[in-house]
Amino acid sequence: MWKQVQDALHQSSTAFITKLASLLPGFVALILALLISLVLAWIVAVVLRRLLSSIHFDELLARWGLSPAAEWSPRRSPTLLVSGTIAAAVVAAGLLIGVAAFDSELTSELVRNIFAYVPNIIGAILVLLVGTIAARFLARSVLIAAVNLNLEYARLLSAGVKVLVNVLAVAMALEHLRIAVGIVELAFGILFGGIVLALALAVGLGSKDLVTKSLEREARKPSGEAVEEPLRHL
Amino acid sequence: MDSIPQPATPTIEQIGSADLLVGLLTDLSQDDLASTCAALRTLPGTPRIVVLQDHAAAAPPAVPEASDMPARDSSLFLVPWSPRNLGATATPVESFSTAYESIFETGAKLDVRAFCLVASNLENAEPGWVSRLAQPLLEGFDLVAPCYARRRFEGLLNNSIVSPLTRSLYGKRIQNPMGPDLGISRHLYQDVLATGQDAATTGNGMHLLARLAPVACGDDFKVCQAYLGSRVYPPVDWTGVSSLLTEILGPVFLAMEKTAARWQQTRNSSPVTTLNESTPPPSQSSETLEIARLVNSFQLGMRDLREIWRLVLPPATLFELQKISPDKFRIPDELWAKIIYDFALAHRLRTINRTHLLRSLAPLYLGWVASYAREFENADPRALARRLERLSLAYEACKPYLISRWRWPDRFNP
Repeated sequence: MWKQVQDALHQSSTAFITKLASLLPGFVALILALLISLVLAWIVAVVLRRLLSSIHFDELLARWGLSPAAEWSPRRSPTLLVSGTIAAAVVAAGLLIGVAAFDSELTSELVRNIFAYVPNIIGAILVLLVGTIAARFLARSVLIAAVNLNLEYARLLSAGVKVLVNVLAVAMALEHLRIAVGIVELAFGILFGGIVLALALAVGLGSKDLVTKSLEREARKPSGEAVEEPLRHL
Repeated sequence: MDSIPQPATPTIEQIGSADLLVGLLTDLSQDDLASTCAALRTLPGTPRIVVLQDHAAAAPPAVPEASDMPARDSSLFLVPWSPRNLGATATPVESFSTAYESIFETGAKLDVRAFCLVASNLENAEPGWVSRLAQPLLEGFDLVAPCYARRRFEGLLNNSIVSPLTRSLYGKRIQNPMGPDLGISRHLYQDVLATGQDAATTGNGMHLLARLAPVACGDDFKVCQAYLGSRVYPPVDWTGVSSLLTEILGPVFLAMEKTAARWQQTRNSSPVTTLNESTPPPSQSSETLEIARLVNSFQLGMRDLREIWRLVLPPATLFELQKISPDKFRIPDELWAKIIYDFALAHRLRTINRTHLLRSLAPLYLGWVASYAREFENADPRALARRLERLSLAYEACKPYLISRWRWPDRFNP
């Protein structure tokens, strides 16, 4: 009886040690991959930082109307944010490659799925970036046009446009990430529709007189005015 | 029964070549057209002249009957002509600049020595006033700019920005550098074309007009002004000012960018020859301005566009603007000149989208108009010339500021 127990213990210990030993190369590979990716990430970060500084990336972003990026960034520098993000991505890729080195079916499947998801993340980031730029541009266009029309609520209108475009961009990004697609679609439809209706009511009621005056002015314009109109200022 | 034979109107191809091309974009009456043609025929040296008459601008009876057509005269040909139709979406300035472009193209086909562009109607015009623009061209001048009788509230964009800026930058005191009535030699036209051979500026008559004065003042071209009389201005639409600023100042600032090396060397301004000079007392304009509304536009801009102006104007200028009280509303000339210079610099640096930039200038421009109108509310209209001279001198005095900011935009930001 004791002999049988001893054999069973011996077998399980051997199996455990064998399994552990078989995992060791994987661990070494993981540590090696992590170390290499850390060095690579540091080099990439330094090169990127220098490159972005040389093209005055922070000033460029501010000029393109992406100054909020500075607020999210370490030491208010989007250059540091971009270089840090890319470096973190390199380390994450190294980690995933290291995990894949275990060669077990589970880890391989996990890594494959994560890598398959990367294009979605990149797509979502691009959508958010373009959305932010478009929101900023359109909000500024609306603000200037509304001020030039002497509208008292120009800022409100501009903020409304910015929120609308940002909401649209976030909804698109979430769809790209395949996060609660149904809920996002529904919530977006309700939210967007609600905002548009509220704005339409606010602007429609608020600028009824303005629209009437503008239409009357257009109707009164003689047809020949088109060519002569600008000349009076010169 | 045989129909009565009508003399055919000659086409540009049939005419072949000419010395002078006159483009009429204005609606001259039958009598005015006849007197214009008669005056053009008396020009010295009997040049071959082609007169293009815009069909769209002309009143229906303005096209002469075949029997009266001056086209029979071997030295003068009257050709009915229509500029390209840009469709209903084209802005007035686009239509206008396309018409100019079309005249220049026709002139190039005819290999003319000079162009004469007429786009204005004059009050109590002397018969044949158009020949005042043409004659100096045949006497060797390259640019004949128009001079009109000044009125307080007319030509404000020209008086407040285009004219003093041209004077300060290029050193020539031209009252109306962008016309619209102009005489241009072929030589000058070719030089202007050569200085703007890029995608951004070709194919736009307004860009071409904006480059005329800079090129003519900078090179060895002979420039003069011809006094034409009182121009008729239609009533002002103040709500369209932002589009107008974009369409007019965009080409002016681009021309400024292209000629930067040249204007940085020009120090003082000098007068140009003015032909047929006449200084009638400035007449009172019947138009009144709603100063309170203009001040309100400025204040609205100050409240809502400050974030945008902060990217363009230095802190000291913003502070000066902030200090302006609505009760004693006045924008000093030096401040105005610096604002225009800062906008020109921001246009060059693309600090923000260029259309946004120029449209955001509108409340400031309306503020300047309010300040100017308030000054002239009870002032003697004869003081107008002195007032505009003071503004031009302020532009000249602030030119070192422009040069410093242009050269070192980051380092020199007072």
